[in-house]
Amino acid sequence: MTIISLSHIDKSFGPVRIVKDLNLTIEDQEFLVFLGPSGCGKTTTMRMVAGLEQPTMGEVAFDGVRINEVPTQKRDVAMVFQNYGLYPHMSVAQNIAYPLKLRGIAQGERDKLVAKAAERVELGPFLKRMPRELSGGQRQRVALARSIVRTPRVFLMDEPLSNLDAKLRVVARAQIKHLAEDLKVTTIYVTHDQVEAMTLAHRVAVMQDGVIRQLGAPEDIYNDPADSFVAGFIGSPAMNLLPVNAQGSVLQAEGAMQIRLPAPRPGALTLGARAEDMHLANLDDAHFQADVFTFELLGDCTMATVMVGHTLVAIKAQKDLRLRSGERIGVCFDPQRLYWFDQSTGARIRE
Amino acid sequence: MFLLRRIPAHWLLLAPALLFVAAMALFPLAYSFVLSFREWKLARSVTPGDWVGFQNYWYLLTDDPDFLEAIQVTSVFVVSNVLATLLVALGAALLLNRAGRINTIARVLLILPFVMSPALVGISFRFFLNGEYGIVHHLIGLAFPSMVDTIWLADSTLAMVAVVAADVWHWAPYMTLVMLGGLASIPKETEEAARVDGASAWAVFRDVTLPQLLPVISIVLVLKTVFALKAFDIIYTLSNGGPGRSTQTLAYFVYETAFNYYDMGYAAAAAYILTAVLLVASGFYLRLVFKK
Amino acid sequence: MTAIAHPNATAGYQASAREQATYWVRQLVVIVLISAILLPIAWIFLTAFKTPRDVYSISSALWFTPTFENMQTVFQAPWNLGSKIVNSFAVAGGTVLLAMPMATMAAYAFSRFDFRFKQAIFLIVIASQFIPAAVVVLPYFLMFKEAGMLDTRTALVLVNLSIVLPYAVWMIKGFIDAVPMEIEESAMVDGAPRSRVIWEIVVPTALPGIITAAVFSFTLTWNEFLFALIIGKQHALTLPIGLIGFRTERGDLWELMAAGGVLITAPMFLISLLVQKQFVGSLTAGSVR
Repeated sequence: MTIISLSHIDKSFGPVRIVKDLNLTIEDQEFLVFLGPSGCGKTTTMRMVAGLEQPTMGEVAFDGVRINEVPTQKRDVAMVFQNYGLYPHMSVAQNIAYPLKLRGIAQGERDKLVAKAAERVELGPFLKRMPRELSGGQRQRVALARSIVRTPRVFLMDEPLSNLDAKLRVVARAQIKHLAEDLKVTTIYVTHDQVEAMTLAHRVAVMQDGVIRQLGAPEDIYNDPADSFVAGFIGSPAMNLLPVNAQGSVLQAEGAMQIRLPAPRPGALTLGARAEDMHLANLDDAHFQADVFTFELLGDCTMATVMVGHTLVAIKAQKDLRLRSGERIGVCFDPQRLYWFDQSTGARIRE
Repeated sequence: MFLLRRIPAHWLLLAPALLFVAAMALFPLAYSFVLSFREWKLARSVTPGDWVGFQNYWYLLTDDPDFLEAIQVTSVFVVSNVLATLLVALGAALLLNRAGRINTIARVLLILPFVMSPALVGISFRFFLNGEYGIVHHLIGLAFPSMVDTIWLADSTLAMVAVVAADVWHWAPYMTLVMLGGLASIPKETEEAARVDGASAWAVFRDVTLPQLLPVISIVLVLKTVFALKAFDIIYTLSNGGPGRSTQTLAYFVYETAFNYYDMGYAAAAAYILTAVLLVASGFYLRLVFKK
Repeated sequence: MTAIAHPNATAGYQASAREQATYWVRQLVVIVLISAILLPIAWIFLTAFKTPRDVYSISSALWFTPTFENMQTVFQAPWNLGSKIVNSFAVAGGTVLLAMPMATMAAYAFSRFDFRFKQAIFLIVIASQFIPAAVVVLPYFLMFKEAGMLDTRTALVLVNLSIVLPYAVWMIKGFIDAVPMEIEESAMVDGAPRSRVIWEIVVPTALPGIITAAVFSFTLTWNEFLFALIIGKQHALTLPIGLIGFRTERGDLWELMAAGGVLITAPMFLISLLVQKQFVGSLTAGSVR
């Protein structure tokens, strides 16, 4: 049972402020994902939970007990590093056994636990190998096994899938999800890949520039983004974000284009709409017209892209649709699924 | 010049260096080898004397107390030198491997003793240990009053200590830099993973840092052994091999035999024994480095 | 906790008393280390500017009136350090000027080509650094005597060249290995012959390494003692030999020796501090990765 609380956490490296007044409570057995671009402070925050970094200000607590001064080795956390951190001079079995060895667990008992952990990640036949003889995916599983061989209070993972190739990533993702549900341990997962966040998390903390922009369940982040950064970060393809100027019943977009849509308030706004919430229509019925920039055959659909000023807008269409580059088409929005943001602050405007 | 076109490029490129090595290294080596089987006392004749077969070697290894003493001196010198250097270098590297202004200053200074001429180092230490006005002698006398009257270079043990200390002062800082390089090449994640797994600072060092440092430690060990076996300048200027012969290593012995006693054939034989030892040591070094 | 300043003492982390004590002990040991390195060096520099009286008494160790007389004396007869400085520069400079092209060419050959016996030949070149001076000093002496070259700077250059080449080849090869083949290949596709590729592409890219090797070689030659002792007699005397000239039957002239020490060491300190970063890696390049 471990609740992690971060209160007013601030971290600076010299003059650079990496984490700014971060406040967050992670519930017991929750799988929380820190999602954001590189440099946003997500890894630093997790390392402070591990004790590998010390906060410049603020308090980290486990179950209400302050642990800032508790050294890493006493915090009873487990961590999977981005480059796995395997001990190169030890075999797979010795790697996995190391946390047990440090706790003085007898050889026989150790071997049993190691075998069990290795089974769980399907590493059974590799126990005697050395890390350098393993593939990337296998090494990652060794790192996983080492972290589950004992039951930690907290499970930390620093972009564990980023060094794997695409196909392996999908498989490993499923394994991690399965493992986390089995273990029932509070987990913090750091990534820049929004697909991982969406598929694995109970809650996602989207970070940018040292601040949490939005905290919520994946579907809330997807359907109800708090600002244009979150909106543009989640979803594949990314949400279309168009800078517009609302005048009367019409939107002035870049490139002298007009969009026939009413806005919640006049002035400079950013209009957001997902590709799957838009469709192609007759030129007369359309909200706006534009020339086809490209279209891509994705197998299950066709993605048409048009240029509005400097912005590429993607629209999902049926898979058997064929277009010509430069052809003028009509584009329609779904009025129920529009997102409005203040153009300067990026804040969401809710009607 | 047409001929030059026919020769593969790599031979043309190698030629200058190779020819030079052949002339200035291989040829003299062969010459010394041949010479070691002859008797030649320069004082008596300008040209080499009779062939005496293995006699020189035989005398050296069985009948010459000075040579045997030189071997003993060399062993003591090399072993204590290498161990001391290794311990200092490892300790200093671990100490200096952190951020901080003082550590940075120290790391910059580490190169200085190495670029000082070993001859100058020997002279300086001789100066520092002088019984009347030597600063080191004075400071030691302050710390250990019983040593106020000792003459360092007149005592065979202390002279050896002085010579080893001087050589360690000369080399250990550089070896520290090498160790620091070795520490830097250890992935930080392995040490952090150990901490997360529950290892104390000592356990991290013992189980993760040290095993990964082993290759560098081996290099330092073997390299320093080679350099200690070759050491001459520092001994010549500090103690002159004395008192008596108590700091006369093999290298010094060869020099003495050749240029004080002018017994060339004999010196060549002694030199070759030293070369044989060095070849073994350097064999270890080359094997370590060429394992890639 | 305690009020002593500690780098980790922020509102986010309060170091225990034990941690703070450890920190200060560490700092102390580092200072001791720095002193151990600097004290001998500083002492020599101080001694160079003392009068003989001040040298021979401990009481005026730190408080004394400095004099430049020593620095002037060493340039006069019979010490003539001036000519020895010239010799040292000539020999070291000559060695480096000859060694760098030879070593670079050989290093390039070892790095880029594959040929029979390559490993063996490379080993021989590198292993020649392990030949003790003692075993070749005799043949050198006799060789130069035969050629009438004893006591010449040329002889010293040749000798130092043989000392320096193995290190230089090793270091430079390491740096050439690090130059990506793609650069050379695109130059060859562009039409450059091999010689231009080496001279105009590889050398400029590997220049930091070549400079490091040059500085290292210069240092070795500048400080070289044994061969200079044997081969030099009157004319081809270098600075290290000049140093022991201050050991006379009347006693050791420490203040003059120190002055000579300053002259011989100061340029080395300056150069080494400038290129110190690359200095270290090169000697064990390839082993510390």
